[in-house]
Amino acid sequence: MATTEPVTYTPDLPPSPVSRTTPTIHVELTPHSLNSISATTFVRSPSAGATVLFIGTTRDTFNNLPVSSLAYTSYTALAIATLYLIAESVLSKHELTKIAIIHKLGECPIGEESILIAVSSPHRQAAWKAGEEALEETKKRAEIWKLERFEGGEGIWRANRDGAVGVRVGEDEKKGVEEKNDV
Amino acid sequence: MAPAKGHFSILYFAAAATFTGRSSEELPAPVKARSLFAQLEDRYPGITAKVLSSCAVTMNLEYIDIDGDDAPQWDLVIQEGDEVAIIPPVSSG
Repeated sequence: MATTEPVTYTPDLPPSPVSRTTPTIHVELTPHSLNSISATTFVRSPSAGATVLFIGTTRDTFNNLPVSSLAYTSYTALAIATLYLIAESVLSKHELTKIAIIHKLGECPIGEESILIAVSSPHRQAAWKAGEEALEETKKRAEIWKLERFEGGEGIWRANRDGAVGVRVGEDEKKGVEEKNDV
Repeated sequence: MAPAKGHFSILYFAAAATFTGRSSEELPAPVKARSLFAQLEDRYPGITAKVLSSCAVTMNLEYIDIDGDDAPQWDLVIQEGDEVAIIPPVSSG
């Protein structure tokens, strides 16, 4: 059964950025390159003494296998709603000043930014904790999928919750895949 | 785009799109939500074991629970114009 992604696969993606913004929250899915300065500019505030920025970049290997390229796709309407809920919850729980979560869609060259999380708060400890929690919640819940293409091979849809090999459709059920977090 | 009269939209993502060879289609409505997987298995033999067993389902952007006899939404009916989606394990970041 030819159900493995062909090398020519191109994900559905919005032609322009999709976002939801309030004075304290910005979430965005974009086909364009990510700009970390704009994320930190959004969260900057005279009432915040700390800004934490996380930049996730795409790796060139997975379990020592060379990855040649990556692409992200999403259920955009739902993923934006989920990112907003995560941002709202983290903002309130850690009493942040502002928060921004921005994820790339479409082709993402190796070594480039795929996700930005910026948070600001009056003091540093809350900002560190909130930044990590926002990232973990996003990886766990946002309706976004990563296709890794291996050199000389086909594509594999990763699953964050597996933390191992991900799902290669068309192959028999993966055996002994442990449930663990991939961080 | 709204589905044709008497139909609902179903969206496939990631491994589900790979398996079905499409990102969306329209299926006849109304239909019991709990019969959705059986209907998809008829159209795409093997999809339950390889894809659906690890997937969640949304209807109009809300997750629905149709797994098992005592599932909260056991009697839920998918109506004309609804948007249903098959959600494989996610992998952002």
